[in-house]
Amino acid sequence: MNCPETTRLLNPYVDGELDLTASIAIEEHVEGCVRCGAALRGLQATRAAIGRHCEFRSAPESLASRVRAASVAREQASGWRAALRSPLAVAAPGVAALLLASWLALSEVLMREAPSAGPTRVVYHISNSSNAGAALRNLNNHLQAAPGVKVVVVAHNDGVDFLLRGARDESNRPYEAAVKSFRERGVEFRVCNNTLVRRQIPASEVLSEAVLVPSGIAEIGRLQSREGYAYMRL
Amino acid sequence: MANSAHDERFERLMVPHLDAAYTLAFWLTRNEAQAEDAVQEAFLRAFRFFGSFHGEDGRPWLLKIVRNACYELLEHERAAGATEELDEQLHRPDSAAPGAVLVFPVNPEAAVIERADRELVHRCLRALPADFREALVLRELHGCTYREIAAISGIPVGTVMSRLARGRRLLQYRLLDQMKLEGTGT
Repeated sequence: MNCPETTRLLNPYVDGELDLTASIAIEEHVEGCVRCGAALRGLQATRAAIGRHCEFRSAPESLASRVRAASVAREQASGWRAALRSPLAVAAPGVAALLLASWLALSEVLMREAPSAGPTRVVYHISNSSNAGAALRNLNNHLQAAPGVKVVVVAHNDGVDFLLRGARDESNRPYEAAVKSFRERGVEFRVCNNTLVRRQIPASEVLSEAVLVPSGIAEIGRLQSREGYAYMRL
Repeated sequence: MANSAHDERFERLMVPHLDAAYTLAFWLTRNEAQAEDAVQEAFLRAFRFFGSFHGEDGRPWLLKIVRNACYELLEHERAAGATEELDEQLHRPDSAAPGAVLVFPVNPEAAVIERADRELVHRCLRALPADFREALVLRELHGCTYREIAAISGIPVGTVMSRLARGRRLLQYRLLDQMKLEGTGT
């Protein structure tokens, strides 16, 4: 790899768009070339400046509520459009409140995480809360054995129960404290909203440390295919 | 149109991307009120044409509609004389020579860029030509792949690559310039 080729491929390189062979060729060249090395650092610094200062924005509540309210106005043929056009859209209160809480929590999930660089990423899939105690013990061991590992716990089906308010483990200890402490150690908890809707569990029952995602399965698929997470079922 | 499967699917595939839609609209219009208008219009259109969407990943499809709604809104306001032109016309990507070689500064002064504050980064990104800004926001904020950006912006993947390269280079130059002007860069 020479300088012009490296220059041409530097952007796709930092964007993770090159295959392994090309990436290695770039890395080898950059190591021995002061000029291309400086170009790479400049590019990375520019990307980092955007990443640091230009965050994902949350839609204003007025807009969000119009879209949400409209999305549950299923009964009327023109429900969507009428509700979107009305500045004071009113929706079925129960469902709207449930969705409101869901989508508020959801914004965090939409935050992007850089796909290739950085720590090892693992997604824990919990589909049955009777295993949750064991899963959290495994998680604790995992964090100790691999400091810096990024873990996302996705709960779905009966796996959501341990993330509900007042839930206790087999020794009658509340899960909430454990969840809080994992959260402080950077572990994220995501709860399947399809499960909540199906089981008619209000979003307000979910611990505030957890966020809702539209579908637990889709979220696991996305983490694995788009963000390079390894999958672990517990 | 009012069947609940259709609505349920829309809610599942489109509504979760509201913040993504708003983020893109904000950076394209550079204005919160216009961003809100564009996203609202985009959701209306998305709902209307949702029958023609058959995939499972709704985000690129929605973002494409958002993008188009933004440019139509801006064009409309420009025609009405309501939008001030920033300096982007001076730096239209089309004005660059085709196939121009990308030249990075020999010393990119990465350490200087690292000290750029939020206000400066926002100001420089906002001032980038729309094509560059669009590609950069989709890549850096939305995490889109080149292929996704190509689909959203309706351009070839090679053009995505060159827009990102030029956009980043321009942003880098401007950040460095401003840091020097402000005397914080040395």
